[in-house]
Amino acid sequence: MITSVEKIYYLNDDGTKTNVFSNVYKVIFANGIISNVPLDEANTDYQAIQEWIAAGNEVIDNGA
Amino acid sequence: MAITRITNIANTIPDASIANEKLSDIVNFKNIIINGDMSIAQRSTSVAGITTSGYNTLDRIRVQIGTAGTWTQSQSTDVPTGQGFATSLKMECTTANASLNTNSDLQIQQRLEGQMLQYLKKGTANAESVTASFWVKSNKTGTYIYELRDLDNSRSISKSYTINSADTWEKKTVTFAGDTTGVLDNDNAESFRINFHLAAGTDFTSGTLQTSWGSTVNANRAVGQVNLADATSNYINITGVQLEAGDTASEFEFLPYDVNLGRCQRYYTKSYEDGTFAGASTGYGGLFGGRLANSYGNQPVQYRFFTKMRVLPTVTSYSLTGTSGAVSDTTTTAGSPSSDVSVTLARISQSGIGYFVGWTGAGGSGWGFQFTADAEL
Repeated sequence: MITSVEKIYYLNDDGTKTNVFSNVYKVIFANGIISNVPLDEANTDYQAIQEWIAAGNEVIDNGA
Repeated sequence: MAITRITNIANTIPDASIANEKLSDIVNFKNIIINGDMSIAQRSTSVAGITTSGYNTLDRIRVQIGTAGTWTQSQSTDVPTGQGFATSLKMECTTANASLNTNSDLQIQQRLEGQMLQYLKKGTANAESVTASFWVKSNKTGTYIYELRDLDNSRSISKSYTINSADTWEKKTVTFAGDTTGVLDNDNAESFRINFHLAAGTDFTSGTLQTSWGSTVNANRAVGQVNLADATSNYINITGVQLEAGDTASEFEFLPYDVNLGRCQRYYTKSYEDGTFAGASTGYGGLFGGRLANSYGNQPVQYRFFTKMRVLPTVTSYSLTGTSGAVSDTTTTAGSPSSDVSVTLARISQSGIGYFVGWTGAGGSGWGFQFTADAEL
C-alpha cells in the first residue's frame, strides 16, 4: 500500500532542482520501504500509483 | 520445442529413427512455469505474518490473499523422496479463519507474459491442450482447485484434484483442453495466470465448477475447494510444478540452477549475495563509487543488470546498513559506511541503473549501496 509519492527532478550543480523530470517517482510504502518507481505503464508499481491517484491522492511535485 | 530432426554435415538422420522416449529428457524449456522446483528464493527463505497479496519468498510465486487467515511462507526442504527435488514451497496457517467472508480468497499464483505462450496457439483452431503436474502434501485432505486464467480475454478453466492422504506427498496431474477462443497478446504484460486455490469464499464457490474454457464467472472458479485456512497449523507443501503443452505429463524438467536463476532475474534481481536479503547490513555485492567533483548532485552509477528485465523495474536502494531509499557515505573508511544519505535512483532501464540523484558529499567523498529491482507481474 502506498503512503506517499513524489516526483523527482534532476539537480543543478549547486544542488538545487532543475525542471527536468527524472521519469522516476519516489514512493513510500506502508511498510516504510522507500522505492524508486519509473514511469513505465507496464510496471505494476506505476500502475498502483495511477490507481492511488485515481482514488483521490496527490503526487508531491516540488519541481523548479 | 521438441527436436524432430538431427542433421550432421554429411547425413540427415531419418526422423523415424529418433526415439521420442530418448528425447523426452532433453532440456527444451517445455515447462511454462518458472522456478517450478522452488529452488530460487531471492527475497527471503521465510516470511511470517502474511495477510496481504504479493511476492514473499520464492521467485515467481505470488500469494493472492484476502481475509483468509495469516500465513507463514517458506522455502522448505521437505520434498518427495527420490524425485530429485531439494526444495518445496510451504504455506503454514498461523491464524485461522474458519468462517470465510464471501469474497475471501487464498491462492498461490504464477503470472505469465503473453509473448512466452504464443506457441500454445490459443484462440485458434489449433490451440494446444496443456497438462499440469505437481507434487503436493498437506494435513488437510479433500478437494482442491487448479485454475488457468486468460487475462487478455477474461476467460477461465478450473479442474479439481484430491489430496487423499494427510501428511503424504502425492503427485497430481490435470489436463486442460486447448482454448480456440481468445488470442493471447504478444507482449510483456500479463496474459495468463495459474492459480492453486487454497481457500475461497462463496463468491468463488457458489456456482458450478467451470471445467471447460469460457468467460470468467467468479462463482464458478473454485467450487468444492476446501478451506485450508480453517485451522491453525494447517499447511501445504508444493513442488515440481510443471505446465506443458499436450495431453500427458512428462517428467519434470530440471534446469541448471544458474539457468533457473537467470529466468527469475527477468522479474526480480538484487545486488546482495545469494542467501542475503534486502535490508541486510552488508557491503558484499554492493556498488561503490566516489564523487569526482564538488558540484555534481546527480552521481553516475552505470550498473548493468545480469538479465534484461521484463519492464523498467522498481528499484530500491539500501544503504550498507540496510536503510531503504538511501546510500552510505563511505568517505571515512573506504567500503565502510559512516552515515546514510537519502537519494533517488534514476535513468532506470530494463538494462540497468544510470544515476542516483541527491548526493551531497564533497569532492573525493565515497558512496556505497545495495539494491533490489522488481519487474514482477
